[in-house]
Order: sequence, then structure tokens, then C-alpha cells
Amino acid sequence: MKQHPLCTDTECVTNVLDLAVPAQVKQQWAELQTRRHFLGRAGKVLGWAAIASLFGVDRAMRGDNYSSAGAAANDSLKFPNFAPKAKRAIYLFMSGGPSQVDLWDFKPNLAAQFDKDLPDSVRGSQQLTGMTTGQARFPVAPSHWPFKRYGVSGTWVSDLMPNMGRIVDDLTIIKSTNTEAINHEPAIMLMNTGNMNAGKPCLGSWLAYGLGSMNDNLPTFMVLQTKLNTAENNQPVSSRLWSSGFLSSEYAGVGLRSSGDPVLYLTDPNGVDREVRRKMLDAVNEINRQTYEELGDPETNSRIAQYEMAYRMQSSVPELADLSKEPQSTWDLYGPDAKVPGTFAYNCLMARRLSERGVRFTQVYKRGWDMHDNVTKILPIICQETDRGCYALITDLKQRGMLDDTLVIWAGEFGRTVYSQGGLTPDNYGRDHHPRCYTTWMAGGGVRPGITYGETDDYSYNVVKDPVTVRDFNATILHCLGIDHNKLTYYFQGLDQKLTGPVPASVVSGLLA
Amino acid sequence: MTTLRSIAEPVRQMLPSKQSTRIAWGASLGLSLLLLSLPWLVRLDGHPHADWQQFLGRFHPLAVHLPIGLLVLVPLLEVAGAPRPALREAAGFVLALAFASCLLALTLGFLLAYGSGTSGAGVTRHLWGGVALTIIVLLCLLARPRRHAHASGCAYPTLLACMMIALVWTADQGGALTHGSNYLTQYMPAGMKRMLFLGSAPSSASFFSRHIHPILDANCANCHGEGQAKGGLRMDSYDLLMKGGKDGPVIFAGSAAKSVLFQRITLPPDHKHFMPAEGRPPLQPEEIAWIKAWIDQGASPSLAKLAGVAIREELPEIPLEPVGDYSSLMPEIQKMAQGQGAKLKQVSAKPSDGLILFTVDSASSFDDAQLAQFRKFAPYIVEAELGRTAVTDASFDTLKQFIHLRALHLEETKITGAGLPKLASLSHLSYLNLSGTQVTAASVASLNSIKSLRHVYLYNTPAQPAPAAARAPQPAPTATAATQTKEKSVL
Repeated sequence: MKQHPLCTDTECVTNVLDLAVPAQVKQQWAELQTRRHFLGRAGKVLGWAAIASLFGVDRAMRGDNYSSAGAAANDSLKFPNFAPKAKRAIYLFMSGGPSQVDLWDFKPNLAAQFDKDLPDSVRGSQQLTGMTTGQARFPVAPSHWPFKRYGVSGTWVSDLMPNMGRIVDDLTIIKSTNTEAINHEPAIMLMNTGNMNAGKPCLGSWLAYGLGSMNDNLPTFMVLQTKLNTAENNQPVSSRLWSSGFLSSEYAGVGLRSSGDPVLYLTDPNGVDREVRRKMLDAVNEINRQTYEELGDPETNSRIAQYEMAYRMQSSVPELADLSKEPQSTWDLYGPDAKVPGTFAYNCLMARRLSERGVRFTQVYKRGWDMHDNVTKILPIICQETDRGCYALITDLKQRGMLDDTLVIWAGEFGRTVYSQGGLTPDNYGRDHHPRCYTTWMAGGGVRPGITYGETDDYSYNVVKDPVTVRDFNATILHCLGIDHNKLTYYFQGLDQKLTGPVPASVVSGLLA
Repeated sequence: MTTLRSIAEPVRQMLPSKQSTRIAWGASLGLSLLLLSLPWLVRLDGHPHADWQQFLGRFHPLAVHLPIGLLVLVPLLEVAGAPRPALREAAGFVLALAFASCLLALTLGFLLAYGSGTSGAGVTRHLWGGVALTIIVLLCLLARPRRHAHASGCAYPTLLACMMIALVWTADQGGALTHGSNYLTQYMPAGMKRMLFLGSAPSSASFFSRHIHPILDANCANCHGEGQAKGGLRMDSYDLLMKGGKDGPVIFAGSAAKSVLFQRITLPPDHKHFMPAEGRPPLQPEEIAWIKAWIDQGASPSLAKLAGVAIREELPEIPLEPVGDYSSLMPEIQKMAQGQGAKLKQVSAKPSDGLILFTVDSASSFDDAQLAQFRKFAPYIVEAELGRTAVTDASFDTLKQFIHLRALHLEETKITGAGLPKLASLSHLSYLNLSGTQVTAASVASLNSIKSLRHVYLYNTPAQPAPAAARAPQPAPTATAATQTKEKSVL
């Protein structure tokens, strides 16, 4: 038996694996990857070793059969904890921080406040970002665009999003979302993984881990990135956001590329047919299995699973990406942009197709909402890009009967300030990051349609009613998918880790259907 | 003659024979008469009286549980006394204690009603119940010692039975006063309600009866209803509500601001005159908005819709029914999960929530014959995802056996709709997706007989071709996006 590559302890003389202990315990020993694992689990393993020597071989081996049977029976029964309303989710992530003041949070009284100072009582003792903390004054910048009331619910929506106005009766709008982070990276990590620091699994990975796949031919969690628009101020998004953290890498999000082949190297090279590919994979898998037996690294098993998934995706992805069978009504609905791979509309259409094919969680990233200046020029561009796609996706899911069991989420990492960053003119202004309140929405399975939840003050600056923290937001999403956020845990670093973190979170019952 | 004697005998036995018992009977008779005349001696006039009366009176709901507990104990002790005489001896003491606590509770209850100025049919019924119960307990007390001298006497057991009936009835009346008359039955399973003929009142189409009346019923009718009519105001029917209380009307049709009702529900919750009173939760903002709109627009009893008020009609949730035990089939289900192809997955960690049939892995090759192999799982499948599979109308012969089926996905299949009437036996089916199939309006009409059906999707079918409305959206606000969702009622 080889020494584990990460084990530097050369003094290690007695090998537990040679003792008569249950195979499962041996495997645990082999999986001791880090010092923390070692310290955490060594006691149990050594305890078994002690039992083995006390009671003799037979009794310890009998324990083996018992425990492995128990584990298998428990495996499939944990989640969902209760009958879910939604079987899958689509998360439209608006990276950069969309301006709630200009899109959803209508404040008609602000027009009279133009260029007046934001009262200190409203801002309080808040620490601002380095970008505006040095400003001499904080002039109020009312939204440049008028709002209209839409739908039976009479929801106010900015003229920038005329199509969104048509579906407000299907949306659950949350005006009181608030976060603790004021800069992009921590805020976007917090939103996606429940923690500002990298290394925690994201929402999609937790769902994949808890609920598993509905279609073995496609990944459980897929990520679609929208092509950059250089007219906008794009903040980077990275694979940390769809990482599985300490969970097995099988649960990480699989990205589809926005241009060219959706998945690189998926097509067989010339001269290699399916048969040859299969034989090659079988051989590689065999080698990997031997490696696993030798070293016991669970990531080796993940690798085998990923090779197998890639093989199946060789046939499932071309079918997925082939839009030729979509009827004309699809193009009428999603608009001409949808024919261009990598656009937001295309990704919305793709998200619908992925959901149709049983992908549990699809996340669409749209960057460019970070508008520190020139709001009046850039905001119409990005709204033009996204308005139709969101409308089309909700409408399409609804007409196809999918909105009943699909949860759609639209959110950024924070909102934007009501005061202008930099100069305020009658025609233009900028807005800084604003964590204290921002607007998000959900639609579909599990949430109550046609309502607006939470209220902000007259300056869209502080939440005055029904605040929804990021933890509560994520707990509510899990609830819609049938998961109790306190039960979806994974033991790591001495803690039962959760998406919502160790601070208590609660499901926002006011949002539920 | 013998019959007459057999009746006269127990009566004679009950009659007092000793001097001391005669005094006891006399005193009891006097007390009973006093209790009976109490409602006439001190009339409940509906006006609040001294604060000290209310202060003491509010201990009534607390004290009242003491006699309840003791009285329930008495028959138990009597029965348990057959094998263990010590218990029977205790029954006498408990009964005496119960009587004393009855008197206390009755006094406090009377102080509460009189002091707070509560009146109404419910209060009167509860009061009479309390008086009757106290007198019956007194009679029990008198009849009891005699029973031991003549073991055959049936007066005491009869009195105990009467006492229990009076107890339950009075307690129920009291409960209705504090919690509302539908408190116990509100969450009763629908089937049980039907059995007990507690069916919901026929719903009328007016805004008042659908939205305003339920708000008043849930929040106000406890104190302003049939049971109690505080301030002389009853809100349990439209006419009584409009009539108002002893200080005049509470609703000024056409102006919420001038209506006392609206003024008082919108006061700060800690205000003396705030309604609902006594620390009950304030109305929800949307409920207040509906009441305002309803009064502003004329407080009509019949108007069906109000301008500017949109209420999404929510159909009541269909409760999940347990599908039964399929643990013997679990090995097979787990084996399926390992392989490629169709599989069954549990809806949730609770096995009785049922199974979902997933076919997406092998959709193109999944046909009627494969579906037929799932017959043995039929009663346990609550959802069948057959979208994009090769199933045809013949599949309905299998599907009709899925008796617990709630959702059926048949989108993009070769279904023509000829077999749809076979689904009529599925009494739980609430979701049916036929998008992209060849079903026609005529075949879909047969679904009308499925009462549980809520959503039928017919997008892109001859029954409902893609409408022009879905075409290029106009950048102008419209009421709602055109939808192809057909609610049951539209079909």
C-alpha cells in the first residue's frame, strides 16, 4: 500500500489498513486528505483499530456489513425534506448591481429632491465605498425615466423595461433584499455561496448535492455566461461562483461557452468513432479505478464520473444546442437576438431548453450592471439587452406549463445609491454600490405571483418593512425546492456547513404561494 | 299498580328522611332559585360597568377550567371505585370541590359579562349553560350519599350523565365566544366536514361576500356577532353591519374617511379605540386597502369588482394523499436508479408522498410497452413525466390505473386525445400538459368531468394554436401577457 501523496509523516509505521477493521473505515482512513481530516477522524479510525484487537477479527468484520447496508438505505431518502413546489430553478444573475431606483423601486417624491443633499439621518453612520466616501456632498439623483403601472397587480415598472411590465402579475418582487457586503467580489460570493470568502459551495452545487440529477445525460448544474458588451462596465465573474467548494467536484457547475462549440473538445476528432472513444474511456476508467484503490482519493471517482458524463454529453449537447426545431413562435417571442449564441436572449432560451431536459439548476450570468457614471447612457443599453429575454423566458415557461414547477430567480449582488456618484447634471448621473436595499424577483414554483414584498424608505436607501437578508433569500429558494436549509449540511472544518451559514436564517413565508 | 310503585320507590328514596338532610335540601332549593333568577335580578344591558367587575371577571376564562377538570374526574372516580372503594370515597370530596369552583366560575363569568357590557345570544346561552350546570352539580351532590344506602338507585348516574352533557355544551358555547364558532371545524379535513354537513356556505359573486365579509368574520365577528354584540354592533351580515351600533352607523357609503369602522381600524394599534381591540392582531394592509376601496366605492352588497383592486383568486391547495406502502418494491426502484433509462424517484423523504416517473434519460425510446411495465407501481406514482417520449393514445390504458396521479406530462408526444376520456377515473389529477400534441378542442372537452383538474396546457396544439398575441411584444403597457394556460373553468 502506497503512502498518501499528501501525507508527509514518514514516521508512520503501523498501518491501519493492515488491521482487521471494516472496509468502510479503511476507506475513510485512505480518504484522510488534510490535517484537519486527520485530526477529526483519526480518533474514530483508531477506535475501530482498538476494537478490532480487543474483540478479535470476526466481530469487527460483522460490523462492516451492517454499516454499509445502513448507509445505502439512507442515501436516497434525505432530500427533498418535503414535497417541493419546484423541481428545478433558473437563476438569472445580474452581476454588477442593478439600480433598484431606476428599475423597480418607484419613488415619485424624489423628483422634487433633485440635487438636494441626501439627509444625514438617512445615510446614518454607514461606511461608504472608497469611490464616494470622499465626496463633499451626496446629491439626490431621481430616476431619469418615468414609471408606469402594469398588470392586475398595478406594479410600478420603469419605462426601461416595457416587456417586464407585461409579466409583473407572474413575478414576486422583493424590494427589501439587503446584503452585508459593499464590494463586488465579497457581495457576489455572499449571494452565490452564502459566504464572502471563496471556498464554499454555491447554491447550484448544494442543490446538485442534495437533490441529484433528473437527467443522467446532462450535468445537474449548468452555467451560461452572456457575451461581454464593451459599452458596459463589466465586473469579472469567475468559476469560484459555480464551484462546489468542499463538496465533490461532481457538483460544480458546468459552463456552456457563449460562442463556438458549447462545450470544447466534445466532438470526436476525425477518425475516432464512438466505439473507439468508448474503448478508450473504459481503459482510462480502469486505470483511474486502480489509482483510487491505491490512494483512495475521492476526487479520482469524480474524475471517472466526469469522463462518463462527457461521453454522454457527446450526444446530448449537440441535440441541446440544435435550435433548428424551435417553432417560429419561439423566435417571435425571444426576438432576433436569440439566434445569436451568447446573447442574453439566447441564454434564456437555452435555460428553458436545459430545464425541459431535466437540468436541475441553470444559472445565467449577465455582467455590466455596475454603473458608477453615465447611467442614462448605459442603463438603456443593458435593459434593452435583458428586458425581452426575461419576459420571453417567463412567458415561454408559462405557456408550456413549466412555470408550475420551475423557480426563476432574478438578482444581482447589491443595489445602487440614490445619491449621485460624481457630478449630477439634469441629463446624467452615476450611482455607487448600495447594500442596504435592492430589488430582486422570483417567479414560478413555490412563490406567490403578483405581489411586491418589503418596503424601502422615501430615498430607496433603507429597508423599512420586511427585510430579506441574503440568508433568508437563499433559505426561501431552498424551501421552494423542498429543502429545509437547516438540514442540507456537510461536515467540514469542524462545522455542519450550510448554504445559509451559521447565523440563523429563515424562510420568508410572505413570498410563498 | 306495580309499575306505579316501581316509579314511586326511587322518588320516595330520594325524599329527605332526616332533619339535617331536609335543611340541606331546603338550602339547595333556595340557592337554585337564586341562580335561576340571577339573569333577571341583574340584567345584562350591554353597557360596561365598574372596572373592578371587569378586572375580576377576566379571571373567568382562567378559573373556569378548574370545575371542568374536577367534573370530568367525578364519573371516572365513581367507575374506578368499583374495584377500589377508596377512589369512590374521593369522588364525594371532588364533587363538593367542583361545586364550589362552579360557583366561583359562575360568579366571575357573570361579573365579566356584566362588567364589560357584553351581551348577545351566545353570551346568554353560555350563561344559562353555566347556571344549569351548577344546579345539576348541586343535585348530584345531594343525590350521591343516598345512592350508597340503596345501591340500585339510578338517579345519581342519570344526573352525572346530564352533568357531562351540560358541561360539554356550556364549554363549547364559551369556547365559541372567545375563539369564534368555527374555531374547531376550521381546519377539519374536507371529507369529515362533508360527513358532518358543515359544507361551506354557497359563495356569492359579490366583492363583499367574497372578500370583505371573510375579513370581518375572522377579525370582528367574535365581539360583534351573533354571540356577543359589543357596543350594540353586529358585523356578521351586511344589513346588520350597515345598521351600525348604539352610537349610529359605522359605515358611511362613499367615504372610508368618514366611516367609523375605517377610522378605528386605521388608528395606531396602541390607541384606546383601535380595532380589533384587546390586543388582537391588526388587519393586514391589503385587507385595510380592500375595505377602504369597498367603502369608497359605495359599500355595495352586490358589486362584483372594484376599480383599482385586484385580488388573485387562489384555489385552495389540494392536500396530498398518502399513496400507501411500497417498501416491498424498493429494491426494484433502487435497481432502476442505478441504470440508464426510466426511473422512479421519491417525491420527498416521506415515502407516502409517492413516486415520480422520470423518462427524460431515454425519452425517445420510451413507448407504451415500457410504460405498461410500470403497472405494478401504478398506485404509488403521483407524477408521470412522459414529455417527448414515444407513447401514444394507447398509454391511457396504463395511465388510468395510476389512481394517485396528480401531474401528467405528455408534451410533444403523439397523443391525439382519443384516449383522454379514460383519465376520468383519476380523481387527483390537477395538472395535465398536452403542449405540442395533436389534441383537438373536442377531445379536450372530455376533461371537464375531472373535478380536480386545475391546469391544462394546450400550447401549440390544434386545440389552441400559437396565437398572434405572442408575436413581437409592443413597448406599451398591457394588462397581462397573453397566456395559453387554461384554467378549468375556461375549458
